[in-house]
Amino acid sequence: MDRMEESLQNNNPTAKAFTLTSAAWFALATSFGMIAAGYLIAPDFMANIEFIHFGRARPMHVNAVLFGFVTPGLLAAAFYFIPRLLRTELYSHKLGVFNAIFWNITVLSGMIGISFGYTQGREYAELPWPVDIMVVISFTLVVINLLLTVRNRVEPILYVSIWYGMAAVILTACTYCIGNVIWKPDTGALVGIPDAILLWFYGHNIFGLLLTPLALAAAYYVLPIETRSPLYSHTLSLIGFWSLIVVYTHIGTHHLLQVPVPTWLKTISIVDSIAMVIPVMVVLINLWLTVKGKLGAIHASIPAKFIFTGTIFYFFVNIQGSMMALPVVQRITHFNNWVVGHAHIGVFGFAGVTALGALYFILPRITNKPLYSKFLADLQYWLVLIGITGFAIVLTIVGLIQGNAWYNGETLYRTLPEIQPYYVLRASLGAFIMIGAYLGLYNIIRTLYFNRGAST
Amino acid sequence: MRMTPAVILVGILSLLAAITLTVVYWPYSTIDRTPSDIFRQRTVVEAAGRKIYLENGCVYCHSQSIRAFDWGHGADRIAQAGDYIADEPIALGSQRTGVDLSQEGGEHPDDWHIAHFINPRYTRPSSIMPPFEWLGMARIDTLTQYIQSLGFKNADIRMERQRYWKNESIKAYEAGPDANAKWLAEIVPEGWRNLPNPYPTTKASLQRGHVIYQKFCIGCHGPIGDGMGPAQPWIYPPPLNFTLLKGREISGGIIYYQLMNGITGTAMPYFKRDLESQKIWEVGDYIAVYFINQSDANQDPRGIDAAWEP
Ligand code: HEC
Ligand code: HEC
Ligand code: HEM
Ligand code: HEM
Repeated sequence: MDRMEESLQNNNPTAKAFTLTSAAWFALATSFGMIAAGYLIAPDFMANIEFIHFGRARPMHVNAVLFGFVTPGLLAAAFYFIPRLLRTELYSHKLGVFNAIFWNITVLSGMIGISFGYTQGREYAELPWPVDIMVVISFTLVVINLLLTVRNRVEPILYVSIWYGMAAVILTACTYCIGNVIWKPDTGALVGIPDAILLWFYGHNIFGLLLTPLALAAAYYVLPIETRSPLYSHTLSLIGFWSLIVVYTHIGTHHLLQVPVPTWLKTISIVDSIAMVIPVMVVLINLWLTVKGKLGAIHASIPAKFIFTGTIFYFFVNIQGSMMALPVVQRITHFNNWVVGHAHIGVFGFAGVTALGALYFILPRITNKPLYSKFLADLQYWLVLIGITGFAIVLTIVGLIQGNAWYNGETLYRTLPEIQPYYVLRASLGAFIMIGAYLGLYNIIRTLYFNRGAST
Repeated sequence: MRMTPAVILVGILSLLAAITLTVVYWPYSTIDRTPSDIFRQRTVVEAAGRKIYLENGCVYCHSQSIRAFDWGHGADRIAQAGDYIADEPIALGSQRTGVDLSQEGGEHPDDWHIAHFINPRYTRPSSIMPPFEWLGMARIDTLTQYIQSLGFKNADIRMERQRYWKNESIKAYEAGPDANAKWLAEIVPEGWRNLPNPYPTTKASLQRGHVIYQKFCIGCHGPIGDGMGPAQPWIYPPPLNFTLLKGREISGGIIYYQLMNGITGTAMPYFKRDLESQKIWEVGDYIAVYFINQSDANQDPRGIDAAWEP
């Protein structure tokens, strides 16, 4: 190993800063989730507290998981593997660390803003205009830092993780501006039905052009290394990448199938939602064939275990999502907890769990010491797995109860007592996830700063 | 294919541009912006109320868009694109933890909403909506005006009706219990007034009636039917004290009709959507037996007994 690669390993303050960001917001975000879940069980328990009532805690939860936990977690990994794959130093660690600090200020301002009622009231685009600008700056800084790293590279060939990583941050910087109607600071919205179309174009791109490619980038990097297997196919990587960009961007309107939007747009979104099987299955086949016969190695490695689990949830969320885009299915599943189940399987089971795996992968490598506690990481894996699997089951059941009852003409009010026990179950399972998040935070802080373990 | 930085950059950005033009800009530029038949502009207060609605995340629990196969709140008007032409941002909502509100205007009189915002459990005992008492009366009023405008011109027609009957009900209430009971009976169509409850009172039916009463009525009429439920301070005319009805020849038919249809103008809601026929008869008989202490269940004329009757 030459001197430069040595320094690449030793010192990656940018990746460290984003790792800590992610772990801390994971803990906070699940706490907000627990508050929201608590309100759905006992709305009078924390009655009349303006700053955390359900209508505020919910967007705080969602924005904190998206922009505080999952994205920074996957970016931490990207800030580690992109320089390594290019065999060059990150363009600027000063910029990187500043970026992470600014990122935290941004997310924190967003949280405080929402809790005081400064919200644009559009799902996934709640953040008020000044915070929108800060988000765009944050993404732009990431883009600049990574692009300049690419320009300085020693390695001429760009590995598939780099395609996904670059595409995610560049495209999100664009779609974030468009989706938040950044040129209209007062409302941050268009008027009428076009606003809904734009909102869901953007909203779905948060999953499709940010979380998914960043998570796949991490999976493409970590799985071959941890199983010591070469990537199965370059052609499949290519098909998976380009079809993701083309297909995922077309499907936003599947959130609006039951609303008066133009029929041709609904048709496109349904067809492409089914076609999502291509980018998803191509990638999964590529990854799964790469690790074929190596389940033992996956089981033995904490990061690979998380990330392989993430790919399984990716499979489920795709099959489920394509089904939900069929109008006959959506008649039952829309408007109820089925979708919340899907959202948790996708954003947490796939992207979030992959982010956790990626963090555990880079931690020993950026600190040059083994993880503070493998046991805690393993425990977190099981807590998270039980929690998210339970979420998927419980929320799907509630969704079916609600959806079928409404379809049969039972009023919403009559279904409230029926779904109460499931809300209790959801909160209990949430406790597993939240405990997992705090254990992870502890483990990561110990690993980063107070790790007396021998250095490797 | 060789993936160079240029290929990636040019490729993804031109794809994004092309797709954004097709699936966002094209619909944006071709969409029909004609107002629908019910559309009207919002007043300043209603717009201020909408702001409170957005700030407090009502949109995470309430949709504002009715589908062709809906049954519940607002189901009588299917959403049209022309309903939304002034909404910036649009507040369609993606979840129904609570009911759809697109046609909520005039569904209830203002006093019902105020009691409901103070604490939703007051008017809807099994509700899971958070209380909004902390907003303070001024903002609750503003919010209520927005809610009462949902449905635009249709809401205005319903509000007109609410105001007319609110006046009538207050007049009757203030004229004393005799006049009020008389008025309450007279607003029920003749045929229903002379109709006794056709089903017998049984232990089981009273128990079922009790459960319904707990889940639907207790917040207003109170646990002992004296009209002193927690919603009472906000509601005028106040919830009926059932004991006043004793000896006034209130038939099962009157109670059934009032429960089915509600008493427009007063906070008394209609239960036609929430409760099937059997449940309405049974909760009606429950209050007749326990609170009015006078039931005409199974009296003549009662027609042929139903097959299940004991
Ligand atoms: C936790 C989710 C939740 C939030 C947040 C919420 N609601 Fe509700 N809302 C409900 C539920 C559940 C019901 C049905 C039970 C009931 O009537 O209380 C309801 C009912 C209503 C109704 C009565 C509909 C009817 O005619 O029966 C109105 C009006 C209403 N909500 C307005 C609002 C407003 C305005 C806000 C924001 C300030 C809000 N809600 C926030 C859950 C919520
Ligand atoms: C939001 C408050 C509220 C709720 C909930 C409510 N009521 Fe009422 N009820 C009223 C008010 C107000 C009146 C009319 C008082 C008046 O005009 O004097 C009324 C009147 C009545 C009457 C009129 C009887 C007559 O003489 O015509 C009956 C019967 C009645 N309620 C039964 C019920 C039952 C049974 C339920 C539950 C299924 C119920 N109410 C739920 C507020 C409520
Ligand atoms: C891969 C194929 C996928 C398809 C076809 C798909 C399809 C859908 C559909 C049709 C809905 C709308 C449901 C409704 O409102 O009735 C939806 C919602 C959602 N999806 Fe997916 N999905 C897919 C993958 C994902 C992934 C990978 C993620 C996360 C990373 C994700 C996250 C979400 C979220 C968060 C929502 C909820 C949006 C809301 O708040 O209403 N989906 N999806
Ligand atoms: C402690 C664990 C958690 C609890 C108790 C929890 C609870 C909740 C609750 C109550 C909601 C609102 C649902 C509703 O309106 O009915 C929600 C929404 C959401 N949560 Fe969580 N959550 C947890 C963890 C997570 C994690 C770890 C993620 C992602 C990494 C996540 C992503 C989301 C998303 C994307 C939504 C929006 C769903 C939609 O709009 O359909 N949650 N969560």
